Amino acid sequence: MGHPKSLGHGVGLRRDHFDRILAGPARVDWFEAISENFMVAGGRPLDVLTRVRERYPIVLHGVSLSIGSVDPLDEAYLDRLDALAKRFEPAWVSDHLCWTGVGGHQAHDLLPLPYTVQALDHVVGRVLRVQERLGRPIVLENVSSYVAYAHSAMPEWEFLAEVARRSGCGILLDINNIYVSSKNHRFDPRAYLQGVPKEAVRQFHLAGHSKKGTFLLDTHDHPVIDEVWDLYRDAVRRFGPVATLVEWDDRIPEFERLEQESIRARGIQEETLRPEPAGTGKGTA
Amino acid sequence: MKPGTPPDLKRTQELFWDLITAPEGVRAAIDQPSGGRSFDPASIDALFAGDEALPAVERLDIYANMYFFRLLDCLAEDFPKVRAALGPERFHNLVTDYVLRHPSEHPSLRYLGRRLPEFVRGHEPSAGFPFLADLARLEWTRSEVFDAPDAAPLSRAALARLPQESAGEARFRFIPAFALLRFDHEVVRYWRALDEAGSGADGAAAEQGIPHPARRKTAARVWRKDLVVYHAGLDEEEAHALELALQGETLGRICQVLAAGLSPAQATERAGKLIQAWIEDGILAECGPGSSS
Repeated sequence: MGHPKSLGHGVGLRRDHFDRILAGPARVDWFEAISENFMVAGGRPLDVLTRVRERYPIVLHGVSLSIGSVDPLDEAYLDRLDALAKRFEPAWVSDHLCWTGVGGHQAHDLLPLPYTVQALDHVVGRVLRVQERLGRPIVLENVSSYVAYAHSAMPEWEFLAEVARRSGCGILLDINNIYVSSKNHRFDPRAYLQGVPKEAVRQFHLAGHSKKGTFLLDTHDHPVIDEVWDLYRDAVRRFGPVATLVEWDDRIPEFERLEQESIRARGIQEETLRPEPAGTGKGTA
Repeated sequence: MKPGTPPDLKRTQELFWDLITAPEGVRAAIDQPSGGRSFDPASIDALFAGDEALPAVERLDIYANMYFFRLLDCLAEDFPKVRAALGPERFHNLVTDYVLRHPSEHPSLRYLGRRLPEFVRGHEPSAGFPFLADLARLEWTRSEVFDAPDAAPLSRAALARLPQESAGEARFRFIPAFALLRFDHEVVRYWRALDEAGSGADGAAAEQGIPHPARRKTAARVWRKDLVVYHAGLDEEEAHALELALQGETLGRICQVLAAGLSPAQATERAGKLIQAWIEDGILAECGPGSSS
């Protein structure tokens, strides 16, 4: 199961798999639930999450915190998130380093921030307020992006590292997003890994993406590609046995296919961290 | 934006938002501004970074497409029968007009469609589908019932414990996952026809030989039992009885209304059958002297 502090290897909890997960044992250690899908009064979603939680650890992963928006923080949303966290006791609560709307409107998309000092101060202030409201540190994920800002003053990893350092939040490092953005914005994905502080990383995400000619799109509808597995190996070497989750959100396969992807991640993590056998070095008798 | 001044975060996000939500697309919105929005191409070039392989405007277009298609997919999932009735092209146009008028304001996509039933009523291009508002209301009510608060349904045994002498004074309380709907068209029958034909993928239902529902006053109830959502068409007698019960009328008063034209024995039997069906479907939460919906 990896590092004692790590949750191990999990997958996203998706509606298509509800029956299968409840029907029998799954070869995963934990599930990640999209927070907003469970901010409802009753019915099947909450019933399923209750039963899954009885058997597995969960993490609540949000998509609408909009931590980078200039709109005021949505207090009603935070109330619902707080209630959900109190009810289901997730290992942690995560969301994305992005903004999702402005002027009271929601894009339901993870929109990129300019990496400026103004944006940094803004995000850090809001993370601190959210953490105070929830009474726990949150975990923020790097997003895939397709456009950058000409006035960004630092690379994304520096911005992310600074947010974590100044607010005390954790980092959910999405390995696929690093790869997708590195192709779209032409940077070295390994420089990204090197720029992220080791102690802040709580979780990894792995997923598939789509090639769209001149760019890569983060679609979560394919298996993880070899280049992303390679980057994952490098991330494991740098950050250790961090909890890893495989996402698959569109053209969702049978649960067993997703499970296989998670088992592969476990194998790669274990193999990467396995110590060299003693006595294989030069100079031994 | 003054030369040399870094763009303000608020202005940056507002501009980004206006560009990706422009219904005509990012390039057209910049070149041919409409709807009171105009964009300064120099500011856009100064703000967003692109390259020869993928210029900034095309990069923003990726977000514009994702914005619209995510909302379209969500509404197609919440309103499959409306989509089947209209066909994909007309549905696409309806969604374009709808999200322009009612952009999402809720952190969850779950609530995106809440104004669609009301919107289609006044949607000029859908005027040839006068039943659409009824159909949309049925679909939306099913969504509401799906995740309405949980409540234990009233059991037959609990009902039997009601003292005989005060039964006439008893009132009903319904589970939250229940709704009574009145329609101007036969949309429940139409729903069944769509299900039986398995239509919806390629064209409007009418083009596949499914006639539009007739204009006639009808009623339905929507409820959740064991986490599954159901709906059923109602005869006028049951619809009226439910209406009275929801208004907090007593069982005695409901029996009185049902008794019109029937003998007392027939009326009692009729009321008994209705209540039995309500118990079986699990739509009653409580029945007693103090209960009221």
